Formats: sequence, C-alpha cells, structure tokens
Amino acid sequence: MKNRRQLLALGSVLALGTLGLPAYAQQPTYKIGYQLPLTGNTAQYGIDFKNAAEIALDQFAKAGKSFKVEIVFEDSRSDTKEGVAIARKFVDDKSIVGVLGDFTSGVSIASAQIYKEAGMPQLSQTASHPDYTKVSEWQFRNITTQAQEGPLNAEWLYASGYRKVAVIAEQTDWGQTVVSNFADKFKALGGQVVFSEFFNRGLADFRPIITKIARDKPDAIYTGYFYEDGAQFLKQMKQLSVTIPVHSTSASYNQQLITLAGADAEGMKLTATFLPNNPSKNVQDFVAAWKAKTGQAEPGQFPAQAYDAVNIMLAALERAHPNVTRKSLRDQLAATKNFPGVTGDTTFDADREPSKKLVRAQVKNGAFVAVEK
Amino acid sequence: MDYYLQQLVIGLSLGMVYALVAIGFTLIFGVLNVVNFAHGEIYTIGAFAGLLLFVSFAPPLVVVLLVVLAVGALTGVGLERFAFKPFRRFNDEATLKSRAMREATLMSSLALSIVAREGIELVFGSQFQSLPLQHMLNSPIKIGPVTIVDGDLIIFGTSFLMLAGLQFVLKHTSVGLSIRAVSNNALGARYVGIDTDRTIAWTFAVGSGMGAVAGILVGLYYGAIFPAMGFTPGIKAFVAMVMGGLSSIPGAVICALIIGISEALSSIFVSSVWQDLVAYAFLIITLIFFPRGIFGGARERV
Repeated sequence: MKNRRQLLALGSVLALGTLGLPAYAQQPTYKIGYQLPLTGNTAQYGIDFKNAAEIALDQFAKAGKSFKVEIVFEDSRSDTKEGVAIARKFVDDKSIVGVLGDFTSGVSIASAQIYKEAGMPQLSQTASHPDYTKVSEWQFRNITTQAQEGPLNAEWLYASGYRKVAVIAEQTDWGQTVVSNFADKFKALGGQVVFSEFFNRGLADFRPIITKIARDKPDAIYTGYFYEDGAQFLKQMKQLSVTIPVHSTSASYNQQLITLAGADAEGMKLTATFLPNNPSKNVQDFVAAWKAKTGQAEPGQFPAQAYDAVNIMLAALERAHPNVTRKSLRDQLAATKNFPGVTGDTTFDADREPSKKLVRAQVKNGAFVAVEK
Repeated sequence: MDYYLQQLVIGLSLGMVYALVAIGFTLIFGVLNVVNFAHGEIYTIGAFAGLLLFVSFAPPLVVVLLVVLAVGALTGVGLERFAFKPFRRFNDEATLKSRAMREATLMSSLALSIVAREGIELVFGSQFQSLPLQHMLNSPIKIGPVTIVDGDLIIFGTSFLMLAGLQFVLKHTSVGLSIRAVSNNALGARYVGIDTDRTIAWTFAVGSGMGAVAGILVGLYYGAIFPAMGFTPGIKAFVAMVMGGLSSIPGAVICALIIGISEALSSIFVSSVWQDLVAYAFLIITLIFFPRGIFGGARERV
C-alpha cells in the first residue's frame, strides 16, 4: 500500500517535472543559503538580518528579472558546531550556489573552512575579524574591519586633544582587534593608552571596571562593545557620576542603545557606515520598507549591512546569469565595484575586503547625528 | 582609599543581589534535598511579569512586588506539579529513599527551565527589553566618598524582610513547622501524618515567590530584563548555597555576600574577565576543604 502510494507520488512528480520543464527553462531559480542565529542569545541580530534579507528579496522579485532567487535560512544559534553542520548541509545541496552569513566572526570562520574545501562563495554581512577573509579566496565580507575603523578613531580622538585614553572591549576575537588596531595607531600618533581591559560579553555589572578607569583619570574612554553592553556601561557610568567622554565603534550603533540607556547615552561618539537619517533615496526607501515590515523604529547598522550583503549577492548573480555556478558567482562577487548600497559604495579589493566610507556620529537629543568632530 | 571603599560597596551590593536569589533557592533545596534548576527561570518570569505590569498599568513599586510575588508563587506551584510531583507518585519506603527518583527531578526541572526560557524568547525575543527608565532603581546617592543607588537600599531592605519573614514562618507557623519536619525527615513526617505533598507545594510557593521578586528587583536595578537573565545569578546562588552548607539559609546569605565582595575586590587585581572564576574557585575550595559547607550543619556531604 505504502509502496504504491510512493510510486504514485514519484510518477506525478516526474510528470509535473516534464510538463514544467519548458517554463522553468525560461525562469531559472537560484538558491542562496543564509546561516544566521534565529534563536539563542544573539537571535535579535539574526532576526534583523532575516527581515532585511526578505525586504531585499521582495524588492528583487518585484523588479521583474529574468530569473528567480530563493534564500534558505538556517539557524546557527551563533554556535560554531551548528554553523559547521549548516555549512555541510549547504555544500551538499547542489542547487545552492552561494552562502550569506554567519553573524559572528568565530562561526563565520569555522564555517568558512567547509566552504573553502567545497568551493562555495561566502559573504558575511558582519564578520569583521581580520582572519575571516584570509581563510580562502571564497570568503567575502560587507563590513569594515577594525583595521580601518581603529586607526580612524585613533586620529579622531587625538585630534580632539585627548592624549591619555582608556580602552575596554569585550573578550572576543573582534574585541581584541578593536583594542589592538586603535592602540597601535594612537601610540604611533604620540598618545598614551593608560588602561586596557576586556570583559565578558553580557557582564551585568560594569561598576568595578568603571571605578578602576576613573582612578586612572583618562581624557577619554574608547570602547568595543555592542549596544546592550554599551547601554549598561553608559548607565553605570552615570550612576557613579563618572563624566569622561566615551567613544565607540560602529558595532554599538543601534537605536536600542538610546532606548535602553535614555539620557545616559547623550554625548557618546562613534564611527558608522549607515545613518538612517541620510536623505539619499535608497536609504530612505530601505528605512520605509523596514518600518513597514517590522513595525519597529529605524533600522540600525547591522540590518543595513545585511540588506546590502543580500543585494551585492543578487547583483553578482545577475551578472553571472545564465551561467551560474559556485565558481562563476565567486568571480562575479570579486568583481563587485562601486555597488551603491545603503551603507555607502562598496568595492571589494584583491583581498575581498570592502572599502567603505565611515562617518562620525554622536548621540544628541536621543538620536544619532552626523558630526564633524 | 576611596577607591577601595567604593569597590567594597559595589561588592556588597553585588552580594546582596546574589543573596536575594539564594534565599528561595536554598529553601527549596532544604525541603527536597535536590537542586531546582528552574529557579533561574522563575526569577526571569518574575522580571517579565513585573515589566508587563509596569508597561500596561504603571502601578507603584509595592503593588508590582506583591503581584510578582503572587505570580512567582503560582508558577512555583505549577512547576512543582509538573516537574517534581510525578516523581513522588509511589509512597513506599524504597521509592521515598531512592536517590534516583529524587535526582530524576534534576532533569525534569532542567527540562522545564529550558522550555520556559525558550518560550519567553519566542514571545519577547532574546534582546534586552526596553523598560520605562523612570522605574529603574539606579538613582545615585552619595555617602561621603562612595556612591550607592536607591536600588541598593531597596534590595537590602527586601533581603532583610525576606530573611526575617522566612525565619518567622519557619519557627512560628504550622506551615513552617511542617516544612521543617519534611526537610528533616520526609518519611518520618509522612508517618506522623503531615501532608508532605501540600508542604512541598507550599515551599515552592514561598521559595518561588521570593525568586520572582528577586528577578524584578534586579531587573529594575540593572535595567536589564531578558530571557537568559536568570542564568548567572542562578549559578552564584547555587555556589552560595553549597558554601553555606546546603540547607542553611542564613549561611547561604552570608556566603552570597562573601562571593559578591570577593568578585568586586578581585577586579582590583585582575582583569574582570576572571571575575566569574571567583565563584567557581569558592565552589572548588568548599568541596575539597569544607565538604559540609563553611557553616557545617548539613546532614550529608555536598
């Protein structure tokens, strides 16, 4: 009985297949894999990426191209083991020609080993550790690294007249690069790093560290944290009445930082690639689509980063079409030049690193605004 | 000098947060002789219940605390019903004395805690919830060279009230008497006619109510309410309980304070990355050198 049903199903699939073949020949569907955390402690980032990707895909479908694209989302929980398992799954699926993700540098690098072996192009929207693109010629990223951001911030702080700076960052691969890239340049300029310490992500109480920093009386504090740790840090600074100016990286750029810390976030300065109040049309279109889809306030930098990553992938697919293979897609990704995204124009250099323009921003009256100094 | 004083004060307030969680945790252990892994989630549920209340009705803090106490108590009774009671369905002596039956509840409470945490995450997302900032308990108060916040006073007051209230209930009420009887010898208590199931349910109600209140207080203190918030305080409370000799509530409170102060003081000498190590170091030292806990008293080895 069961066998017969299976045969029947097989037969109808075959019949449909032959019938549908001519139609599909004109409208091929390409599959892209997207590995990202949809549950677990970093789920909020992954869910933002998924929303951004769906906006990009939706806009693409409406544009009436000669081919279709499907994205397969897989939940990695920001867990290295899960990430590697997903990578194997994507590699085994012959219909998947390219992969987006993962969120953290650690998981992206671990998965990259699988993609390197199999020859699968991988584009991460956020993996900013220097080692990621060094894995192989198949790895791309759409985020500026601390190698670019650190020296820029060092120059900014030095130009503001700060000579003694305290540096703190989360204890991750990424946090290490925040400190080293900034400190190297700042010392080269003639400044002094008087205090440097790492903390575990999700630390509840920053007060012991803040008290320690205050004892060293630095001119400014340079911080490598994401928005949740940032909000805790800023609130507890205020609580202890420590009024040293705080600088940070684009990672803390998120409207939620201001929602969580309120007035205590006022005055924090940071570098960013994406500002939702940028008047250019593509940014405003994205912001409007984001608000309509998620019902949230303006998107932060990370969803914008994901939105651009998906669009860069789609543009590369379009250039490779109709001869889309993993290899041809990789070559087209590598050929990305002046791609006009919402996070600025993106060009991949020979090391598959993006060059982007960073803007200086500050929290003023509950919003991130661009500033000159 | 001011610097060391400030670190000491921060340590005290950290310790009080841990103590607040440890009280309910230790009470439940004392009666069942088994760790309730879902205590951290009760704490989280308390925080979310309080947050919802603040967002929808904006009542005064005292009302919130009372409602959260009730929510925690009910959740605790539910937890006991689903994760603990099914393992006591046989009343013969062999089952009651069986460690395996008792310790199976480690797993069932762990399972329920995972379901609860992931459930909250599904509904609210894993990020920090935004809470009305005016309700936060972090207005600074300067005392001489050191700074504390109003939340420190409220948490201290609540811990004190809980501890005193609990001592009163345990020593001067019939429920307290039966809790102590079951804690002392569950089988014996049953033989002399104490309704052990009801007593255990009461213990869960009281212990979980306290856990839930701790959750909302600490949530407001740090302004950080999120699904995984119960994990770290749960670990610290566990260590405090083991150090304090498993079933001694005042012992657990004192050890929670010791852990908090040591953590803050340790950050003077080492990077804060190592801060969590302090609690674990205490745990190992206790297990090796004080197998009955620092405050003795325990019936069996940790």
